[in-house]
Amino acid sequence: MNIAGLGIVFNRGRGVASLERALEEGWRPPVSLDLKGVPGLKAAAYPVAPETLDDKAVLAKARRADRFTRMALLSAFDAWTCSRLGQDVAPSRVGVILATALGPHVTTFGFLDGILDFGDAAVSPTAFSHSVHNAAASYIAMTLGLRGPTLTVTDFHFAFHEAARLANLWLDERRCDAVLVGTVDELGHVMQAACARLLAAPEDGRIKPFAFAREAVSIPGEGSVFFAFAREPPPDSFGALHVAAPGAAPAAGLTHCLLEADGLIGDESRYANLVAPGAKIGAYAPLFGSIMTGSAFHAAVAALMVKGQREYACPVPADAPGVSAIAATKAAAVGAVASLRLNCAGALRSLVLSR
Amino acid sequence: MSSRTDTGGGKSAVISGLGVVSAAGGNVPETLRNFAAVRRLPGPVSLFTTPLDPPVFEVKQPLPGNGASRTLQLALQAIREALAGARLGGDLSGRRVGVCLGTTVACQLNDLEFYTAFRRNGVAPLEPVRRFLKGNLAEAAAAEIRATGPHITTVNACSSGSDAIGVALSWLRAGLCDLAIAGGADELNRVPFCGFASLSVMSRQPCAPYDRDRQGLNLGEGAGVLILETPESAAARGVAADLVLAGYGAACDAHHLTAPRPDGTGLEAAIRASLEEAGVTAADVAFVNAHGTATRDNDKVEGAVLARVFGPGIGVLSTKGYTGHTLGAAGGLEAAFTALALREGWLPASAGFANRDDEIPLGALRERTPVRGRWGVSTSLAFGGNNASLVIGCNR
Repeated sequence: MNIAGLGIVFNRGRGVASLERALEEGWRPPVSLDLKGVPGLKAAAYPVAPETLDDKAVLAKARRADRFTRMALLSAFDAWTCSRLGQDVAPSRVGVILATALGPHVTTFGFLDGILDFGDAAVSPTAFSHSVHNAAASYIAMTLGLRGPTLTVTDFHFAFHEAARLANLWLDERRCDAVLVGTVDELGHVMQAACARLLAAPEDGRIKPFAFAREAVSIPGEGSVFFAFAREPPPDSFGALHVAAPGAAPAAGLTHCLLEADGLIGDESRYANLVAPGAKIGAYAPLFGSIMTGSAFHAAVAALMVKGQREYACPVPADAPGVSAIAATKAAAVGAVASLRLNCAGALRSLVLSR
Repeated sequence: MSSRTDTGGGKSAVISGLGVVSAAGGNVPETLRNFAAVRRLPGPVSLFTTPLDPPVFEVKQPLPGNGASRTLQLALQAIREALAGARLGGDLSGRRVGVCLGTTVACQLNDLEFYTAFRRNGVAPLEPVRRFLKGNLAEAAAAEIRATGPHITTVNACSSGSDAIGVALSWLRAGLCDLAIAGGADELNRVPFCGFASLSVMSRQPCAPYDRDRQGLNLGEGAGVLILETPESAAARGVAADLVLAGYGAACDAHHLTAPRPDGTGLEAAIRASLEEAGVTAADVAFVNAHGTATRDNDKVEGAVLARVFGPGIGVLSTKGYTGHTLGAAGGLEAAFTALALREGWLPASAGFANRDDEIPLGALRERTPVRGRWGVSTSLAFGGNNASLVIGCNR
């Protein structure tokens, strides 16, 4: 299936131009956030800046929406607008699939605050309705007036893979003529505190995808990426996306291979075995932070590489022997890019983007 | 109708196994007995402490435990019954099996004990977090039964179970797996209980779907699972292809976060899409197992749409009178109940329905009724304006 539009909200801003700029500029140190409830303790993170989510025009129908929904809505809006598919495809023929690992857990905890502070009979109905996982997808459908199938799915590792694959099926089945597919995950104070206790953090603020460490380091991030997919290639396509079968080894003939190592699975030593022979290697988690739905962010980078025929220097350089990491940002012949992700059990999933 | 199971394109999936657990019964036989007797057992909440008093439909029989969440335990109980019914036992080795399950509760870390400790000083035992991170419903169920095909958890509020079944149908048609375990599961939990109370949609009486005097929904819990299978797989195993899932349709209202679109056009689009996919006309459909939550808005909008699509004489029931609203499990349970009605040849009375509402152009079934036809439809409406419809058939 073909990528007609792309939208992104992350710590470096909103929109494709922000992503390109971040890739050109390279790594930046994370910010230090207070760990709420733990006086004096701070933790590094890559949060989305509040001003990034300040768009009253787009959010007019989502005034009561939480931060989780706002991130998703803005990136979905940008992907849809960028695609121009709305000119040709009837709203009833457009599907929406949102993938998330943790859902709107900040709002859920806010609702729990209501129960604990005010009792079972005095909680906020608005907080409750926004704590439901599919609230964000519903706001996207409402704002864009899309009336096809609207689905939210969750998985801690491969949510985007299954969402994208389902979109492909919906297009093949003629259930839809276009599908907006994206991810959103939010950095909240509870999960930030849990991450600080469960995961190792780097002393120098750098996620190290090429360390292939048995105890990898991570820095939590957040954001949303959306793709507008169409059956036929649009004039200004970002390329085609293919979801490989579970466990399939990287295909032959790749020009580039992205490693999604971000520290979340702990032992990243198996990534060293995934380096495809002859392919140049990229790894961009140090730009976004560690996000359970980080596959979509890497797919966005791959889409820019394919569209722009450009490769981007790895934000944290490789120091491992035998790894042909991308060292400089420059024009390049980008044919097919695989993006590879492992889960805690060592299962491999890959996305392949090509012209 | 048999041609529906062996044609290409939008071909049907064989339903080779069914598993249910709810307040209506811990398995298929017990549920059928309670349906036949119009026996329903709402009562006060016993699973947690709350000052709220609307009745609920709890599962009373013991569950296997094993440290899993209650939702996963419910799901596994239904899965095991469905696998046994499909003559698969627990051995799925060598088979390409997908797992798609819907839920609303199991996807949230809404552990009040953990969160209370966290609020106190920022440090709480991390076991609930670890359990949550290992407890993605479809992933955990797939691991438990060693299914190696695709798996994903649908979290589409009250249509999650129906949508999970629709996703599995797409997987089977595309050849991603030969068998799929699909449906939904949800436990009764204090957090959504408080949430639905805050929306003022819960009845303090046993719910009365489609009734003139209905006062709202009762929450319930349970799991409903279908074993779906390609016709080729069923034929190779020598499994009867009597029951089939022939169509799935979904559409969004794009209207409001918690209220259905008043004109019902989203639901109508979903139903018509499912019928078209199944190659079935509205006149072919014998009955509809409606979403029928017993809220004023849901039943009014849904009833108008069902009358518009199928005519006011269509047989309509809501099994929520026996189960309560089981949220993410509802679509799975009600698809299973639809298949059971077709297989058994009778529909239970729509428990709680007594008087027809003049604002709804049709009423629900007051008594046990023979199924006269081969097709049934199960509908789901959800928060966010999601609508889903499944078309289920029986070759007998």
